[in-house]
Amino acid sequence: MEQSQEIQVGDQIIVQRQGYTKLHKLKKHGNMVIGKFTVQMDNIIGQKYFDTFQMKNYSQNNKLYILEKVEDGKNVGNAVNIETSGMDNRNIVSDESAQTLTKDDIDELQNSELNSNAIVEKLINNSKTFNMKTEYSQEKYIKKKEKKYFEYLQIRKPTIRLLTNMFYRQDPTKTLGIRIDDLSQILTYANIHSDGNHLLYDSGSSGLMSAAVMNAIGANTSGTLIHMHPGNECQKNAFLAMQFPEEQTHRCINVNLYSVLRCFYQNKNSFVDNICNDTEDKSEGEPEPKKAKLDGEPTQLTPKEPQWKLDNESACKILNNKCDSLIVTAKEHPVNIVKELLQFLQGGRQMVVFSVTKEPLQDLFIYLKGRLDIIAIKLSNNFLRNYQVLPERTHPEMMMNTGGFILSAVKLNS
Amino acid sequence: MSFDGYKEVINEGDTVILYLTISQVYNVKAEGKTLNKKGQQVENIFQTPYGALKCAELIGKTYGTKIQLSKGWGYILQPTPELWTITLPHRTQIIYTPDISMIILQLEIKPGSIVIESGTGSGSLSHALIRAIKPQGHLYTFDFHELRTKTAGQEFQDHGLANYVTVTHRDVCCNGFGEDLNEKADAVFLDLPHPWLAVPHAVKALKSIGGRLCSFSPCIEQVQKTCCELKNFGFQEIQTLEVLQTQYNVQIRQFPTLDVEFLKYPKTEEVEKKDREVQKCLTAIPPAQQPGHTGYLTFASLYPIWARTVNKNEVDSD
Repeated sequence: MEQSQEIQVGDQIIVQRQGYTKLHKLKKHGNMVIGKFTVQMDNIIGQKYFDTFQMKNYSQNNKLYILEKVEDGKNVGNAVNIETSGMDNRNIVSDESAQTLTKDDIDELQNSELNSNAIVEKLINNSKTFNMKTEYSQEKYIKKKEKKYFEYLQIRKPTIRLLTNMFYRQDPTKTLGIRIDDLSQILTYANIHSDGNHLLYDSGSSGLMSAAVMNAIGANTSGTLIHMHPGNECQKNAFLAMQFPEEQTHRCINVNLYSVLRCFYQNKNSFVDNICNDTEDKSEGEPEPKKAKLDGEPTQLTPKEPQWKLDNESACKILNNKCDSLIVTAKEHPVNIVKELLQFLQGGRQMVVFSVTKEPLQDLFIYLKGRLDIIAIKLSNNFLRNYQVLPERTHPEMMMNTGGFILSAVKLNS
Repeated sequence: MSFDGYKEVINEGDTVILYLTISQVYNVKAEGKTLNKKGQQVENIFQTPYGALKCAELIGKTYGTKIQLSKGWGYILQPTPELWTITLPHRTQIIYTPDISMIILQLEIKPGSIVIESGTGSGSLSHALIRAIKPQGHLYTFDFHELRTKTAGQEFQDHGLANYVTVTHRDVCCNGFGEDLNEKADAVFLDLPHPWLAVPHAVKALKSIGGRLCSFSPCIEQVQKTCCELKNFGFQEIQTLEVLQTQYNVQIRQFPTLDVEFLKYPKTEEVEKKDREVQKCLTAIPPAQQPGHTGYLTFASLYPIWARTVNKNEVDSD
């Protein structure tokens, strides 16, 4: 089951430059913009994932960089020599005169050769205050400067963890504000695993939800996912990034919410096997000739059913037998959606609804409490805190963010 | 036998979750007979605040239905790892669902993964790990406490999960995870008093294409030592975090309103006695007290051998 470790044209890759990550589809002779650098990607083709590459100036074009594989990863990173350090910051006055290099000097340095070590060393040599700084703040200074001029990229294969963190860092609203802890709990409280038929309504997580559920369902297993979405096409950035094998991709049935429900209510005979054939013939038989006349087309061969129609039918077949979980991650107010979709949830199974704000879930809580077939209703949110762990310098990270709210409940057999 | 896959009807021997209220949830076994403290066979009766439940009556009932008790009723549910976590018999401190969820997502565990866990403890995390790796994956779980491994092994057997898990009695800090597991694991989870001692063994056990590691420690000193050791052994993306969950009680509350408008005008003769007005408000109330710390979660990646910055031989010779 091990996938290929070789980077190939057509692969979805995550390009990592220190803490920054970006999703990229690798094309032949393609460029990629990362930060203020435009990078020619061809040299990574045929190399392995996790390999590190150095950005090098391209001789004919100042703005374009090419990549060169770093054979010995050990030399990447800080090798700057520090001569002396101060005890504390009593003699450091912060004004604009500490750095004697001008911005133009630095730009020129960067254009002549992008080498973070060399640039940082120059910056240090031209800093009046650097040697007065404490060891700790020198380290911090170097880290900060290195980050700016860091010339190494690493190529990663997308995983749910990397994607969730990447989307959240770029713009939390693109994934409905779903933070990694939220996602992890949505999956566990909904009991998503390799078995069963799962139902998801998602309106705006860039495909992260369907990707995460399919990832938990796994390759070569029996589980399926019905992914309902409100648009013509579902969002699938993250889903495509995961590059699931075909067999697994097929077990995610993407259907439009309106059209699948219309099919479910108004076109029962397309998916229910045991409906008497007589009624089917009559209801179907009448409007057909009329339509043919209107179209005025010559002898028409039975047209191939469009894929969306087939998808609707296979989804309805599953819905008719009920699903083993229900997840709603919606931009819309959840009460109407849940009210409608709960009929498809098997008794004794879990449902989970996510919202970045609490109030819609409070409404939903009250609605569910009023139903006799719902128990164990829980509304929760998380406090997630990251730590800097360094010898003698361990503390919570300066910045933190707020996650969303999760409502989970169990449906009973009525 | 009720943990492997979705079920409709309770069979004899199934573990069943008895749900009474949000804070009264229990697990019972659908068996007519059980052993009492003296080892004698007696009728399996479970006492609840709402009356006794004869467990034999559960057999043949449908999961997710109501069950009548003498002084009320309850609901019977098929166990999930989450329900098991809140009802399991504690033999040690256990890891709860917010941490468990984070561990599984961050360790990038999916069906087919080979996972190592140490220690097994009460099996709270183990059940969730097994659900995540089924059907092709496998969990190797270790504990240095012999009785715990035996009890956990029996539990997995009873729950129908024995095929997905191997329980071993061993002190992994001293003896490692065993030669058989060299370069076999996708992920290693450590919940040990001295997790840093297990780091070198984790390096050996992780696949040559790399893998993820997690260490759960309540104390920051443990985290500090572990992080240093992880760095020494060439782990990357070392990250420490903690997750705390708050559960809200949603209620429609009535607040009395104050009206001071009348103070602006002189007193009039006819004093109208008005009813005190109330305003309804939908509120979500956090508990007055809740756990403020469970443990620090430290995650790290071991890159594939071609991208490792620390050579395995270098470490061995240290």
